Amino acid sequence: MKAFLRDNGLGLVFGLLFLASLVGQAFSGNAALNERRLTDGGDPIGLWAYVLSSDFAVDVAENWQSEYLQFFLFIIATVWLVQRGSNESKPVDRIGAESDERQRLGAHAGPDSPKWARVGGWRTSWYSNSLGLVMLALFLGSWLAQSIAGHSAHNAAQLADFQDPVTWPEYLVSADFWNRSLQNWQSEFLAIGSMAVFSVYLRQRGSPESKPVGAPHDTTADSG
Amino acid sequence: MRAGGPVLLLAAVLTSACGSGAADTARHAAEEFETAAATGSDHACALLTDRAREDVDCTALGVPTGAVVDVAVWGDAALVRTTGDTLFLRELNTGWRVAAAGCRPVPDRPYECEVGGP
Repeated sequence: MKAFLRDNGLGLVFGLLFLASLVGQAFSGNAALNERRLTDGGDPIGLWAYVLSSDFAVDVAENWQSEYLQFFLFIIATVWLVQRGSNESKPVDRIGAESDERQRLGAHAGPDSPKWARVGGWRTSWYSNSLGLVMLALFLGSWLAQSIAGHSAHNAAQLADFQDPVTWPEYLVSADFWNRSLQNWQSEFLAIGSMAVFSVYLRQRGSPESKPVGAPHDTTADSG
Repeated sequence: MRAGGPVLLLAAVLTSACGSGAADTARHAAEEFETAAATGSDHACALLTDRAREDVDCTALGVPTGAVVDVAVWGDAALVRTTGDTLFLRELNTGWRVAAAGCRPVPDRPYECEVGGP
C-alpha cells in the first residue's frame, strides 16, 4: 500500500485536488447563481439541482476544453518547434517525428516495448500518435459539451432578461461562446509560453520540470 | 481522465435538454393566465410574479390574449407565444408564474411589455 501511494503520488494528489476543487466550484457556483437569480426575479436552487444544471456544466466544460487544447497543442507543437535552452523542448537537432530507430519502432523495438510499437501497420501508426489524438478528442468533446451547455445557460439568461433565445448555430458565433473560449485559451497559451522560456533561465531543484540547478542556460532538454 | 470528455458531453446534453414536462407545465400556466386575463378575472394577477404584479390593475390587465402556439423552456425560464401575445414565465418554488405579458419585440433590446418585464 505504501509503495502504491509512493509510486502513484502525482496522479493521486492531483486527482484529489481535482475533486476537492470541483466540489468547491459546485458550492461557490451555486451561491453565485442564486445571487443572480434573486436579482433577476427567480428563486434560488439547491446544490444538487445546480450540479445537474447547464450553468455548472458550461463552467466545468469551458475549463476542461482549454486544458486539453493546451496539452494537445503542446504535444504536437513540440514535435516541430523547439526552444533552445528550455527543459520543455527537445534538442534543436531533433526537430520532427524522428527516426524509427530513435523512436524504437518495428525492428528497433525492444522486448519490453508496447506491442503496438512493434507490430507495424495502422496499429503502430495510431499508437505513435495516440497521446495527441486522445488529447484532441478530449478537447473536441469538452468544447462540444461547452457549446451545448453554454447554449442552454445562455438562453435561460436571455429569457430572464426578456430577450429571445438563440439557436445552437447562432450560439456558436455568439460573443458569449467565444468569450468563454478565448478567455481560457489566452491563459493556457501564456502559461505554456512562459514555462518554455522561464525554464531556460530559472531552476527548481529536484523537479523534472526544471534543468539541474547547475546546468548552463543553453542546455536544452535536460531534466533535474 | 480519458472518459472525462464523453461523460461531460453526456452531462451537457442531459442538463441542456428541455424536458417536455417543463414545457407542458409552462404551457398550462400560460393557458390559465390567458383564460383569466381574457375574462377579466383577478386570478390572472395571482399567476404573476411578485415583481410583475407591482403597479398593475388586477381587474384590467389590458394584455392581448389568445391560444398558445409555441413554448420554449430554458432552465427556469420560458417564452410562450400565443396568437395575440408573447409571455415570459419563470419557474419559482410555487410553480410557473408570468414575469411579463403584453410583450413586443424591440430590435437588439429586451422586449417591451405592458405587464412586468424589464
